[in-house]
Amino acid sequence: MGSFLKLLHRQFVVPWQEVVKTIRHNGASDGGYFPVLRGFFVQWARFNEPKHGKLVGTDELGNKYYENNRYFVARNRWVDYNKETWNQMWDYNASQVTPEWHRWLHYMTDDPPTKVPPTSRPFLIKHKRNLTGTKDCYVPYSTTRPKIESWKP
Amino acid sequence: MSHQLTRIVRGLSATGIRCLSTTAAQSGHANFKIHIPTFVKATISKHKIDYDLEARKDPDMETIDSETQAVQLQIPTTGTDASCLTGVPEEHIVSRKVRIFRPAKNAMQSGNQNTKLWKIEFDTMERWENPTMGWGSNADPLSNISMAMSFKTKEDAMAFVERQGWSCYVDEAKEKQMQPKSYGANFSWNKRTRRAMK
Amino acid sequence: MLRIATQKCCDQLPSRFLPFLSTKSGAAVATRRHQSTDDKVEVFVNDKPVYVKPGSTVLQACEIAGIQIPRFCYHDRLSVAGNCRMCLVEIEKSPKPQASCAMPVMKGMRIKPDSDVSKKAREGVMEFLLANHPLDCPICDQGGECDLQDQSMMFGSDRSRFLEHKRAVEDKNIGPLIKTIMTRCIQCTRCVRFADEVAGVSDLGTTGRGNDMQIGTYVEKMFKSEMSGNVIDICPVGALTSKPYAFTARPWETRKTETVDVMDAVGSNIVVSTRAGDVLRIIPRLHEDINEEWISDKTRFAYDGLKRQRLTQPMLRNKQGQLVTCLWEDALPFVAEKLSTTEGSKVAGIVGGFADAESLICLKDLLNHVDSEGLCTEELFITDGAGTDLRSNYLLNTTIAGVEEADLVLLIGTNPRFEAPLFNARLRKSWIHNELEVALVGSKVDLTYSYEHLGDSTTTLKQIADGTHPFSKRLKDAKNPMVVVGSEVFSREDAFGVHAAVSAIAQNATVTSQTNRGDGGADWKVLNILHKVASQVAALDLGYKPGVDHIRKNPPSLLFILGADGGAVTREDLPKDCCVVYIGSHGDVSAPFADVILPGAAYTEKPGTYVNTEGRAQQTQAAVSPPGSAREDWKIIRALSEISGMTLPYDDLEGVRSRMSEVSPNLTRYDAVESANYFKQAAELAKLAKPQLVSKPLQSSQLSLADFYMTDSISRASKTMAKCVKAANEGLTPDL
Repeated sequence: MGSFLKLLHRQFVVPWQEVVKTIRHNGASDGGYFPVLRGFFVQWARFNEPKHGKLVGTDELGNKYYENNRYFVARNRWVDYNKETWNQMWDYNASQVTPEWHRWLHYMTDDPPTKVPPTSRPFLIKHKRNLTGTKDCYVPYSTTRPKIESWKP
Repeated sequence: MSHQLTRIVRGLSATGIRCLSTTAAQSGHANFKIHIPTFVKATISKHKIDYDLEARKDPDMETIDSETQAVQLQIPTTGTDASCLTGVPEEHIVSRKVRIFRPAKNAMQSGNQNTKLWKIEFDTMERWENPTMGWGSNADPLSNISMAMSFKTKEDAMAFVERQGWSCYVDEAKEKQMQPKSYGANFSWNKRTRRAMK
Repeated sequence: MLRIATQKCCDQLPSRFLPFLSTKSGAAVATRRHQSTDDKVEVFVNDKPVYVKPGSTVLQACEIAGIQIPRFCYHDRLSVAGNCRMCLVEIEKSPKPQASCAMPVMKGMRIKPDSDVSKKAREGVMEFLLANHPLDCPICDQGGECDLQDQSMMFGSDRSRFLEHKRAVEDKNIGPLIKTIMTRCIQCTRCVRFADEVAGVSDLGTTGRGNDMQIGTYVEKMFKSEMSGNVIDICPVGALTSKPYAFTARPWETRKTETVDVMDAVGSNIVVSTRAGDVLRIIPRLHEDINEEWISDKTRFAYDGLKRQRLTQPMLRNKQGQLVTCLWEDALPFVAEKLSTTEGSKVAGIVGGFADAESLICLKDLLNHVDSEGLCTEELFITDGAGTDLRSNYLLNTTIAGVEEADLVLLIGTNPRFEAPLFNARLRKSWIHNELEVALVGSKVDLTYSYEHLGDSTTTLKQIADGTHPFSKRLKDAKNPMVVVGSEVFSREDAFGVHAAVSAIAQNATVTSQTNRGDGGADWKVLNILHKVASQVAALDLGYKPGVDHIRKNPPSLLFILGADGGAVTREDLPKDCCVVYIGSHGDVSAPFADVILPGAAYTEKPGTYVNTEGRAQQTQAAVSPPGSAREDWKIIRALSEISGMTLPYDDLEGVRSRMSEVSPNLTRYDAVESANYFKQAAELAKLAKPQLVSKPLQSSQLSLADFYMTDSISRASKTMAKCVKAANEGLTPDL
């Protein structure tokens, strides 16, 4: 009987609990219209699966890193890009993950930088996302002198 | 009849097409047909042939035999024109001019081996510097033809060019004139060829 | 054996020998085939009979037989030196191999250029030559077109026995054009002989002997010649290479375009090497009737002027009075508007020295369409008398090759050495080989050969015309006299007087020379005009007015300048409201005061027709594309005509050329000299117009070598030419 109730609980209650947790988890805190649902839908649109989890840390760009081991490995750690990316709906990019979080996110280590902070070096520069396709992207240019010099009046 | 045939065969062989069946022609039939192997068929654009048909206003020129599916061409009796078979785009046939010439001897070298054969080259189309690597680029598929082809005589070259339907002009080769020379002229006592020192 | 040899030679022979070779009884057929064997000597090359002129060398006999003997010191256009020994061949009954370049043929001589003895001799000579030659082909500019490289591959041994040290020679600085790496020198003395014989400047020579022999100038000085660059070509190794071209390209990377030079009115045939839209060098191309195998230094080295000061974008003068770049879509309608609103008599055009006949005819048709007659050339000529109506009046009628038949040349008011270096080289060649006598009325200059200076006064001309001058006697006795007038005399106020006097001299000489030759009406022409710019003859053929007098008299309000940078018209000569349209390739003298600039193509960038001073039409080929938005000049004018609603009735090169031949058929008969022969009528017409002479001395503007280099918009833009001027004026410095 007890196991039957457990089954019913797992089948009909837990999913709803998850939904509620997820909505709560993703709820935006910046006011505006539908603050509760907006973040949920953004995550839904981006991941196809809105998740909830434990906030492991935030990087210097404001990206939040979550972990929930209820999901199986490879889905249990994720990044919630900072709110600026919401403004440009789809303009988010894996290169926005900073290098110190990259290794945790990709399971190279289980220690997030909050636990084992990376050694700081004077030559390390601030992380910048890949600018390809943006207006700040690199455009190749010729470094040679033009073969023909124009006349200047 | 056999004369016509020869011309057609020559016209085709100019484009690398061997005539596989000329029996009809040999029997003296007026509408002889030439079977073109399928690998050639693939290279001949149907569109090109149609276009040519229209341009020439020659309705007798059949292209596809419905039974054998072989391309069959009745070459018009001015059959030395192979331009309909070469696949060269129309604009390259009509608008361009071929220069037939024998390359000049390189002034830097004594040897004259490279000056013996006739070459053809086209008028220069636009060339530009490739922005990526700085190499020379152009959009002219015929720009390197002088490296690929050479002819024993200018008549050969002219015949070839005519078969391709191009217009051409011949730059006559500049021949060297040979003057008698003598070592003794260096020591001539009353001539200005005398050389006081070396 | 004979059969095999014959078979082999078939491949190397011109086809006219083939019928005779295919028969076995060679000798019998040979006499039948060679009709003119009487004055020729029969020799056998590889047992095959050939007929050569007596006095020819063994090397030439082999050449006629289709076998090229390897050589280093021998050059067709230089005297025989016989010092490299590469051309050794075996001759039957001669105990040792003979130097074929210096050995005259004898009747019945049996030459064996392919025998084992010949091959061994070559191998031995090659081994000695390579003993002291550095193995630096990978860093040598001659690599790929080096005679030593080629011939060591063909005729040398495949291994070395040389274990000793190589000799090294110090490099010499002989000017900003020629780079010397004297260690590579094999002492063929071709450059020494070229300087002595063709250039006529005995600057180069040899010092020392044996292993210590060196080529050089003895003291460090510039090789002061207007044709010095040719030693780069004739040097069979990399000892003399081009300084501006150094380390630029290998010959197999470049695309060669056979074209024609326009830096002077001779129209030398050239080959332009290009790579990736870049003109890398210019070398001569054989044309026996024009430049033989030489070109002048301006032709060869001014190409870097094609890359500087170029007009690459159309420009319009804005309200602030500054020229700013714009689009063709802005510039052309602006000019078209002006053209259609300006009265025809107020429209004029000036053409400069680089205009091709295609753009000349387009401009003429366009301006004539608006009823303008103000079409002028910048270069001057006479308009009185027969003027430009009779073609014989403005051509070098004797032709350049005709110089070799002349026996007396009278130069008037010209310095051919700098105005037309190749013509002067021809005069010098004739002076050496044919005992040509030269006299000059004009500035006393160094022509590289001896001549009689008759002063520079116009009275001398008058006296020669009258027959009272002592020189008249010699002119009277001459069989093939030439009278050459430089185009500079036409800038004098008495240009017509000079031309008339010269015509009279020439006419008298024509009559007397006919009697002297005893052939009555044979076709020898005496009167010659030596032009300085490439476009002049074509412009006169097409009916342009010589000189800008017309424009000064009728101030235009719309002026087209087609590459005229000689400064004949300045802003001060024009009314204030005059709109000046400059069509051309370089921003030089005229572009700064233009209101609209339409960028055109230079001579390496367009197929164009140029007529040289002999009246020989030749066409250039496009080697590269015009830079930026620049376009071929005739296309600009054609586009302009369409926008102004006066569409010219041709839209491709073929159409333009057929229009050209309508106006003047000789313009499209390429490489043919159309003879013109109305001297008598011209001289009579000249007499009717009452010519006057003033006492100003006849002078030329180009007196020394420094005056030669920078004369037009291309050479003025060239850094190399600027260096030459500096070196010629101030002597050599290490940076040159």
